[in-house]
Amino acid sequence: MAESYFLLAATFIPLFMAPIAYGIGRKVGVNAATWLSFGALAVSTGLLFIPAVGVYTGQQKVYAESYTWSQFGNFGLRIDGLSLPFVLIINVLCTVLALYSKPYMVHKVSEDLPERSAGHSDGPMSAGRGNGSHGSANVSGTQLTILETDQRVKNQMGLYFSLYLAFSMGMLGTVLATNLIEFYVFFELMLVPSFFLVAFYGYGARRRIALMFFFWTHSGAVVLLLGLLAMGFFAGGFDFDTVKANAANIPAQWVPLIVFAIVIGLGVKLAAFLLHIWLPYAHAEAPTPVSALLSPAMIGIGAYGLLRLWMELLGSTGSYEQYNLYINMWGLATMIYGGAMALMQDDIKKVLAYSSISQMGYILFGLGSESILGISGGTMMYVTHGLGKAILFMMAGSIILQTGTRSMSKLGGLAGKMPYTAVLAMIGALTIIGIPPTSGFMGEWILFNGVLQTATNHMDAFRTTMFGLGILATVLSSAYILWMFKRIFFGKIPEELAHVKDSNRYITVTMAVFAAMTLIVGVLPDTFLNPITDYVNGMFANQKEVLPLPTAHTGGSAISDTGPPSSLPKGGFG
Amino acid sequence: MAMGFEGIAINTWLVWILPFAGAAIIAAVARGGYKVRDYTAVAFALASAISAATLIPLALQGEEVHSQIPWISSLGLKAGVLADPLAIVMTNLVAWISFLIIVYSTGYMYGDRDLTRYWFFMLFFIGSMQLIVLSDNLLMVFFGWEGVGLASYALIGFWYYDRKKDFVGKEGHIAGGIPMWASPTHAGMKAFLMTRAGDTMMLAGMFLIFMHAGTFGFKELLEDPSWAFAMNQQNLLVPAAVLLFGGAIGKSAQFPLNEWLLEAMTGPTAVSALIHAATMVKAGVFLVARIGPLFFALAMMGAFSMQQFFEVVAWVGAITAFLLATQALVNPEIKKVLAYSTGSQIGYMMMGLGIAGLSLNFVDGYTAGFFHMMSHAMFKASLFMGAGALLHTVGSRFMTDMGGLKKPMRKTYIFMLLASLSLAGAPLFTSGFWSKDAIFASVLESGYGYAWPLFIMAVMVAVMTAFYTFRMIGMAFFGKPSKHIEEMERHGHHIHEAGPSMLSHTRSSQWHR
Repeated sequence: MAESYFLLAATFIPLFMAPIAYGIGRKVGVNAATWLSFGALAVSTGLLFIPAVGVYTGQQKVYAESYTWSQFGNFGLRIDGLSLPFVLIINVLCTVLALYSKPYMVHKVSEDLPERSAGHSDGPMSAGRGNGSHGSANVSGTQLTILETDQRVKNQMGLYFSLYLAFSMGMLGTVLATNLIEFYVFFELMLVPSFFLVAFYGYGARRRIALMFFFWTHSGAVVLLLGLLAMGFFAGGFDFDTVKANAANIPAQWVPLIVFAIVIGLGVKLAAFLLHIWLPYAHAEAPTPVSALLSPAMIGIGAYGLLRLWMELLGSTGSYEQYNLYINMWGLATMIYGGAMALMQDDIKKVLAYSSISQMGYILFGLGSESILGISGGTMMYVTHGLGKAILFMMAGSIILQTGTRSMSKLGGLAGKMPYTAVLAMIGALTIIGIPPTSGFMGEWILFNGVLQTATNHMDAFRTTMFGLGILATVLSSAYILWMFKRIFFGKIPEELAHVKDSNRYITVTMAVFAAMTLIVGVLPDTFLNPITDYVNGMFANQKEVLPLPTAHTGGSAISDTGPPSSLPKGGFG
Repeated sequence: MAMGFEGIAINTWLVWILPFAGAAIIAAVARGGYKVRDYTAVAFALASAISAATLIPLALQGEEVHSQIPWISSLGLKAGVLADPLAIVMTNLVAWISFLIIVYSTGYMYGDRDLTRYWFFMLFFIGSMQLIVLSDNLLMVFFGWEGVGLASYALIGFWYYDRKKDFVGKEGHIAGGIPMWASPTHAGMKAFLMTRAGDTMMLAGMFLIFMHAGTFGFKELLEDPSWAFAMNQQNLLVPAAVLLFGGAIGKSAQFPLNEWLLEAMTGPTAVSALIHAATMVKAGVFLVARIGPLFFALAMMGAFSMQQFFEVVAWVGAITAFLLATQALVNPEIKKVLAYSTGSQIGYMMMGLGIAGLSLNFVDGYTAGFFHMMSHAMFKASLFMGAGALLHTVGSRFMTDMGGLKKPMRKTYIFMLLASLSLAGAPLFTSGFWSKDAIFASVLESGYGYAWPLFIMAVMVAVMTAFYTFRMIGMAFFGKPSKHIEEMERHGHHIHEAGPSMLSHTRSSQWHR
């Protein structure tokens, strides 16, 4: 039993509040459901901060709670240097996006009501404009308040928030899990509410796309399960600690199969190249607040899985040294594919979806470099991509809400009409491009530095070429992001959009919160870098192949003809 | 490692922090009315300039200030400022020219409805540029580097509505299948992407140094040079230096990344004066000035040769100077001629700095290149401001639409003539003469094997410079008034002299005579 229940409470409060949110939404109103969900998630985030601060300041390396569960092992929840950034980003994103959801989803849900989707514009929500693409443009505060009083809207919003809370819990549990089966259970628990969210509230052929999303991700999860089961049986237990200690017991011919299963299963979640097909559809047609969670928070959990399940638990099998080059190559292919496809899209959300694929490629590129710098940089990219892509999806939602269209050929010149959205979206855009002082630069330079470090250390022409191509891919990122920005916000404004106004405060203030976070992390990256580098250092302390961080003093530990570098770098650490 | 001089270390930090602070509050201040807002912008620029000026006594005594604070402890990196004589001279040049141009902007941009955004990005630019100059390590330099790139993108594309009159280039002119006229937003994107290509090269160079040295700081790199010897053994030192120079190529519009500078003329002329003549494009020169002595010293200490790096610098400079000067000879737009001229003169500066590393005596070429940078900043800013006055008055960017403006715009004529004499290197009484001559002398005296071809190219560029400069003056101020002007006069818009704020600052850039 644990002395305190912070993590247990933090994980399960949102789940318990889910049916309550549904009830409150039906009976009381949309505002109540929104603030209740926000409150539940805020409490959950606050409870997470307490042990997180302890881990961050180094008082305790790890904070864990564990409860006996079944023959599978203990049900545990743990924050350590690796899960800390993931946990914080996931929860902060969920909390803030709950508020953002309100105006967007009220508008979306009321659009889908039978009389409006038939194309009539009678009823109190008529805007008198009646263009057919996405419903009325220029949603004002008073229109929203009128919409919110409709009982059907209240029902739907109650359901939305209950699913949203369950989704948040699933994501949080996955990164806190300490047991292989528990990890898998939460992994699938992430999938089910998001399936319903896309199926009920999505755009286009939403049911078909939700099914496609479900089948792809579930198939990946089953492959992952096979690997996890094999790991657990050979190691004699499913708890992370047991597996890590007994990893040497896994027969040598099984290790490649297990690694393959884990990598493929998580690769589907990460939407790596060739396993990415589901992502552009799911992200584009999901309701935007859900997209803003799917892309920044959920797909990155694939990276967390790789770090935890493969690189850490199977660390002593030596499989990382064998296969990291392939992960590196896969990452490069994903980066370039995502970037190139993003350049060709007309739909804002498809650009952002392909951009997410490309950014996940960055993370794989970093994870596949055999250096602490690269792996830390890749992990940091999760944080930075989370913040930046959330802002950009929120921008997309704001544009959809105010102009009624997602197609960039119909947009233009909106910077004058929607200044707050434009400025905050620019900050998000800079984060994805990787420009200081946003956080994106911190993740990106550390990552690429790590890749180059390995390349020059081994004098490996192949890795150096991959580095060169990777760095060129960053120019590709700049290109598609800037071009998207230009097509939306610059140039002449089309006549139909001449009366567009900026979004209401639920949208702009939430965007501003993330913009502020990315700027702060960009200037003071230690908030996340410290735990990450400490943990990654510890993870590879016994492995000589993985290059340590460069130190100032003797000509760096990267090049020394006195043999392999010592395991822990000296000097210059916090 | 904070040096003594209590209080002055704060001044060094303030030089770059104050403009950022001004930028942060300018939107809020704008609610108080546009006079308050404009005066606030001027005040912050002035405060930053005064902070820079307090460092001058240090430079005169040949001393420096180095102050550090902890920053990214997980990687062992510190943030800091280093105000050595090189940085002190540059920071004052940047600060005072920026201040003058901010004041000029109050007149030039008067009445523009987006002026708050303009002040934000101008102040952000000044802060970033000072960050480049005063940082003590390459990572902070890169922060400033990208900051000026961002400000440049935003200011080039300032008039983002893409009205026809804000385009640059002749409409319908197609060369080799590529349209030669550009909208402000297109030009902004082009500038960003081209400089980003250069910046990625610079990042690669920085990475190579960091992974061997474990630090980015200039002083730390010189203190313990074992990293350089290790890199040189692996033949990585020259590539790292050349990659760093790649960033300078991008930012200073040297060949082959020179195209963005021409289309950058879609920005307001005050922006062109500040960013694309006097400061940002000099950032590359400043970077070479920072790392040049470092690599030269390392080469001498380790008894190896960095000749290839300095050769790249010198030849890229010479080729750019020649190439862009030829294009300035035939262009009909006044700002484009000045832009080509800027790129060409920066080629001279790179040539000077490069030849310094190729001669036994590093100092001559180094001081020649740097001196040319200083004098060019002043006369080119002055020329751009004069061109701004012409653009305002005539309402067209083409020199073919001007003519005969000597009488009605007497003061602008005199100031531009003086600046042009300096650009062309009129003997003895202009600083441009002395700096250009210093570069010629250092090339001849360098003892470098291929000094003669460099010298001949430099002389040809000087001849072309004189030609296109006086072609510009001639087309604008002499001859018969163009049809365009006659149209204007008929419609009642009289050609008149520029306003006082614009004028006084065109004149004060002449002080160095």
